[in-house]
Amino acid sequence: MSYVLGLKCRECGREYPKDVLFVCEYCFGSLEVNYDYKAIKKNLTKETLLGRPKNMWRYKELLPIDKDPAVGLDSGYTPLIKANNLARVLGVRELYLKDDSVNHPTLSFKDRVVSVAISKAREFGFDTVACASTGNLANSVSAQAASCGLKAYIFIPADLETGKVVASQIYNPNLIGIEGNYDEVNRLCSEIASRYRWAFVNINIRPFYAEGSKSMGYEIAEQLDWKLPKHIVVPSAGGSLITKLWKSFKELKELGFLEKADTKVYCAQGQGCAPIVTAIKEKSEVIRPVKPKTIAKSLAIGNPADGYYAVDTVRKSGGFAEEASDEEIVEAIKLLAKTEGIFTETAGGVTLAAAKKLIEQGIIPKDESIVICITGNGLKTLEVVTKSLPRLVKIKPNLASFEEHIKNGAHQKISENKVIEYYI
Amino acid sequence: MAKRIIKLTFPKDLIKEPLTFTMAKKYNIMPNIRRAKVTESVGELVLELDGQEQDLDKGVEFLKKSGVIVESIVGDVIG
Repeated sequence: MSYVLGLKCRECGREYPKDVLFVCEYCFGSLEVNYDYKAIKKNLTKETLLGRPKNMWRYKELLPIDKDPAVGLDSGYTPLIKANNLARVLGVRELYLKDDSVNHPTLSFKDRVVSVAISKAREFGFDTVACASTGNLANSVSAQAASCGLKAYIFIPADLETGKVVASQIYNPNLIGIEGNYDEVNRLCSEIASRYRWAFVNINIRPFYAEGSKSMGYEIAEQLDWKLPKHIVVPSAGGSLITKLWKSFKELKELGFLEKADTKVYCAQGQGCAPIVTAIKEKSEVIRPVKPKTIAKSLAIGNPADGYYAVDTVRKSGGFAEEASDEEIVEAIKLLAKTEGIFTETAGGVTLAAAKKLIEQGIIPKDESIVICITGNGLKTLEVVTKSLPRLVKIKPNLASFEEHIKNGAHQKISENKVIEYYI
Repeated sequence: MAKRIIKLTFPKDLIKEPLTFTMAKKYNIMPNIRRAKVTESVGELVLELDGQEQDLDKGVEFLKKSGVIVESIVGDVIG
């Protein structure tokens, strides 16, 4: 049973039926899913959740599909880790990591939104799904389309690194490299989306697709025993995750799961592609598009579709924003690995680096609870950290060679590292 | 005839210039304003343009060269 009433324009409030629509035909504002919260409140309680499997579909009443999910049955309910080692380094009292680097099936937050998009595409009767992507989205659409027998068209820049191509190609989609710059790739994909009757997950299915992000917010609240953190730091590309986390908190409050929803939301972006951060810092009412230039490719969206709404959410929540340079991103990836044993991709590096700066600036207080969202896995962006790591130590295959190596102070090198020394 | 939906952002110094009218007249384009917001520092306009394909290209190029930021209303689609 579905609790979706229909779609609603975020700008003029005009209502539409539940259909393959994504912009208001009057004002061209984006559309959002509208639910019957009164009916949900009668049927969804903390007790009903207790017996449900630990995946994102335990909150199915608050997700926009009508039938059982077609894919992503094991997506979501990723760990919320109390990061005591990292907390000591940052000098904060209570720190958690929402770890979507181990999300199923393709190790990123995108598995949540794609699970909803592909399930919805099946309900609408599409036989083909599509997306334009440089990484995580392509991986997830390729994998999940394969798992439910849909055809997939995946558009990528022609010069994408081999590793990233393989991580989609292995699932046997129609993978097409576009020879063109960032703007040309964007434009062509928009044209293809309007010409073919395919479910383009982040275009014509976008109102449904984006709702999948809310599952991360529900999980954080449940994992904290139905309380919210005082502060949450969120990476931003198109800006959707920020708005949907906020929506999830407000929904839980409305349904009576939470006493209050007063979390301050902070936006994190890479320095070479930070249109949302810039707008927040400059108190601007508009987003100025940029040409992305950052190693955080998974966040490199120069003209964010939900940028305005993300800025609005951050302001309403009382949060702020920060950007991270390429060097700060790499250092943060290494810091997270060294302190918590979690290897994140560049987006996670951006988020931790931004959180660190916000804490150092006193914007996030050290004595209040903080959640940092880790949205992807480091195995996907090995190239950005490889050069900054020490060379492999090689020894002969005998004990003497090993002991010679130890005698030369190898073990001391470890304790010279200030981060590790702090908690050994 | 072709249609195109675009979002225009006018920097402060261009708000008073009749650029949309000039574009429409010069390239024989019929603009239909669907949404607009003008503040002290910026002007935003969401338009549907109706015209010959090549005229739409020229009109959009004219706006860009004049300093107006021209974007797709769906934002970037690469995820």
